[in-house]
Amino acid sequence: MDAPAPSIGQSLPRVDGRDRVAGRALYPADMQRPNMAHARILRSPHAHAVIRAVDTSRAEALEGVFAVVTAADFPEIPLGTMIPMGETGADMWMVSLINMARGKVFWVGQPVAAVAARDPHVAQAALALIAVEYEVLEPAPDMDSAMREGAPVLHEHVVTKGVAPAAQAPSNICSRTLIERGAVDEALARSPARASVSVVVDTAHQGYIEPQAMLAEVSADGFATVWTSTQGQFTTELMIARMLDRPLSKLKVVPMEVGGAFGGKILIHGEAVAVRLAEKCGRPVRLVFGRDEVLQGGSGPTMGVAIGIDVAAEADGRLTAISGTYHVDAGALPGLSPSLLMQASAALYQVENLRLEGFDVVTNKPRTEAYRGPGGIQGAFAMEQAMDELCLRLGMDPLEFRRRNAAVTGSTMPIGTPFPSIGLTNILDAVAAHPCWTEPLEPGPRPRGRGLALGYWRGTSMTSACHITIGGDGRPVVTMGAVDISGTRTSMTQVAADQFGLAPEDVHVQTGDSKSVGYSDGAAGSRVARTMAAAIVEASEEVLDQLRVRAAGLLQAEAEQVAYANGVFRLQGGSAITLAELMQETISSGAVVGRGTSTKLPFGVEVGAHVCDVEVDEETGQVTILRYTAFQDVGRALNPSAIEGQIQGSVVQGLGWALTEGYDYDAEGRLRNASLLDYRLPTALDVPPIDCVIIETPVPGVPYGLRGVGEVPIVPVAACVANAVARAVGVRTRRMPMTPERLLAAMRARLSRDA
Amino acid sequence: MSRLMIEARVNGETVTALADPRDTLLDLLRDRLGLTGTKEGCGNGNCGSCTVLVDGEPVNACLMFAVEAPGREILTVEGLSRNGELTDLQRNLADSGGTQCGFCTPGIVLSATALLARNAAPSEADIRLAIAGNLCRCTGYDKIVRAIALTAEQRRR
Repeated sequence: MDAPAPSIGQSLPRVDGRDRVAGRALYPADMQRPNMAHARILRSPHAHAVIRAVDTSRAEALEGVFAVVTAADFPEIPLGTMIPMGETGADMWMVSLINMARGKVFWVGQPVAAVAARDPHVAQAALALIAVEYEVLEPAPDMDSAMREGAPVLHEHVVTKGVAPAAQAPSNICSRTLIERGAVDEALARSPARASVSVVVDTAHQGYIEPQAMLAEVSADGFATVWTSTQGQFTTELMIARMLDRPLSKLKVVPMEVGGAFGGKILIHGEAVAVRLAEKCGRPVRLVFGRDEVLQGGSGPTMGVAIGIDVAAEADGRLTAISGTYHVDAGALPGLSPSLLMQASAALYQVENLRLEGFDVVTNKPRTEAYRGPGGIQGAFAMEQAMDELCLRLGMDPLEFRRRNAAVTGSTMPIGTPFPSIGLTNILDAVAAHPCWTEPLEPGPRPRGRGLALGYWRGTSMTSACHITIGGDGRPVVTMGAVDISGTRTSMTQVAADQFGLAPEDVHVQTGDSKSVGYSDGAAGSRVARTMAAAIVEASEEVLDQLRVRAAGLLQAEAEQVAYANGVFRLQGGSAITLAELMQETISSGAVVGRGTSTKLPFGVEVGAHVCDVEVDEETGQVTILRYTAFQDVGRALNPSAIEGQIQGSVVQGLGWALTEGYDYDAEGRLRNASLLDYRLPTALDVPPIDCVIIETPVPGVPYGLRGVGEVPIVPVAACVANAVARAVGVRTRRMPMTPERLLAAMRARLSRDA
Repeated sequence: MSRLMIEARVNGETVTALADPRDTLLDLLRDRLGLTGTKEGCGNGNCGSCTVLVDGEPVNACLMFAVEAPGREILTVEGLSRNGELTDLQRNLADSGGTQCGFCTPGIVLSATALLARNAAPSEADIRLAIAGNLCRCTGYDKIVRAIALTAEQRRR
């Protein structure tokens, strides 16, 4: 048998693509079950209030209502209840309050009760019949109001962690995190060049187009099945089980197609509520969110921040100090560590004197959740603007400045340990040689500028598991513990095809439910392709070991004498049998199952450099992106077209937040722009084509040398635009999004200052 | 509320369904007729995921009531493929990265189908304008635009 064309590095079309364009891909809102009921959630109209009483009797009496639940229908989760999930575990007290308020509401949109009824119209009507008695409290809708003297305290149990002497009084500042080395203040004082930038970034939403949707069914025997749109079937199962005190053996999570997630579908947002309703009414229950619910309180947006950065350098451009203060707006529930974003913002620079101080602040907003390299774009918006200002002070080319200070493999990371494999200098070389940087910017009718910014995201590894069976025709079937949010089935088809030396169409890769494959962590942290590839390599080897024994039996040889390549087992210089023939001969000889697990894969850190050209309308403050080029080191490109798609989508998300996307709250903590008309995602008219330059610096010790891909391409975007704007019109807005009115105000302020 | 019998032309067939007077065309298609290829992303006409063709024109199905359907010719994504055979536009989108999560895809397929029916040689600007009402959060639009342009070019050959 001839070797098939190499599958690694090919732009294989998505194996699930035709189902999607045909409208046949199934998302949970598309599911129906016999005798199904429809659920709706009653949400708090107040940003901060005590729940005095909830009376559901009138709703229960409405014809067509099957069940109503409130916090009384769920076990109370004590403070400090952690479940193993992700790198740090998940705080189930927090998760339970995201799904159902208890005693107090902390944001507009927090769930207070839920109804299951004959149809969505009846369920909606029933919500209006639930009487909730609130004692309304003063809200703290933003960090300034939460941190001021005499601010309303959200949580009596929260005292600021990480300060000396230990804090005693309750506070909305939940923790302080410090990363420090060298003598920053001295270095700042003595260095000839210095720049300071402070920014405020609005809370923003992941903007997935599919609202949260789920369907729960509990059999008469008590086994619960949940079909949902999630980033992790196993982590979702753990959260539902803990919220309901339900044994994991009596619960199955079936991951459906995911209509976008970007970090927003890691935590549960109603799955346990749907199960409880289904138990209570003895029918399957489908719960689908409306867009207003998604935006206002039903799901976690991602954190707003206030960051101040001071940087300094010698006259030759060598960086001497980085100092940063980071306040992150966690929303209403504590426990959002700013550590990763602090580290990420400073990671790409070698510097002796470093001081990063971060604070986790609670406000009366939805608990924020992850969004694509969580905190990365906010941190870079501050740090990369500060570096750009420093270059302007130095009169130095910003690319040359980065080359002079670039982190390299083995240089010291912000946390003090040596960098694993990092390809930053390769990226900077590629930028230096590319027309987007070397070609002069054509003058236009309005001021134009070119910006450069870098981005870093560490990503993670954690656990991925799969198993591989071989069909009776010799074709491998891979069952993964990972959901597919970014083309995973396609890229893993390429990996499995490569491992077996078969064509991609001769292997099948599927996502398993939480009862059909081994535990895997969720699809987050740019980890799945890397770690699942490692699991498939291991499982393939185990399968081939089993098959070699079988082949040896038929070929009358020892297993060690049998070699396998491209679908054929062969004795050296002798007889051979194909994989298909082997399975046909031995189909009754027992199962062939190979298991693969990846747990401690080395990190594949992600680095990108972006260059953009903008034009600024000085009359209106409108920024037009003329050209955008994203450089990224992916280790090895499994599927270049898929990687381009990830980068392009990520950059456009970043452009949205950079220019138009931001939560706008009133003083009572109500979101004023809870629709996709007023919370404005980029349309096809708002963005140019995004050019991608893929660089390959393989990571040692990782199959194929893979790096994470999905997160870092959003990180530099807003800073890149801000740096281009600053070079066009000499102004930085300090605010993100950089809306026309904000930029116009900044330009006018400069004019009146100059006058 | 009592239900109404609605008779409509959907994907070239006459269909009947019992609907609630409050049902939108989108509810009729998805929940009463089982045509779940049309997606609901916002319910108020901002995202375009529920785009269908009504008498050949793209319409947000969430902004039309089910009771307005009689007398109209409605085309959903399910009506594009005949005997499981996808259209050239669908194949090009699938094969060149024009779909990622796929949730916006049926709406984009229909907006682009309407564009190509009225303009055989659309410019990039024409294409971007035609899908400007369809929000996509995954792709950044470039590969979608290219797939639509490729389809127009192939049809002209």
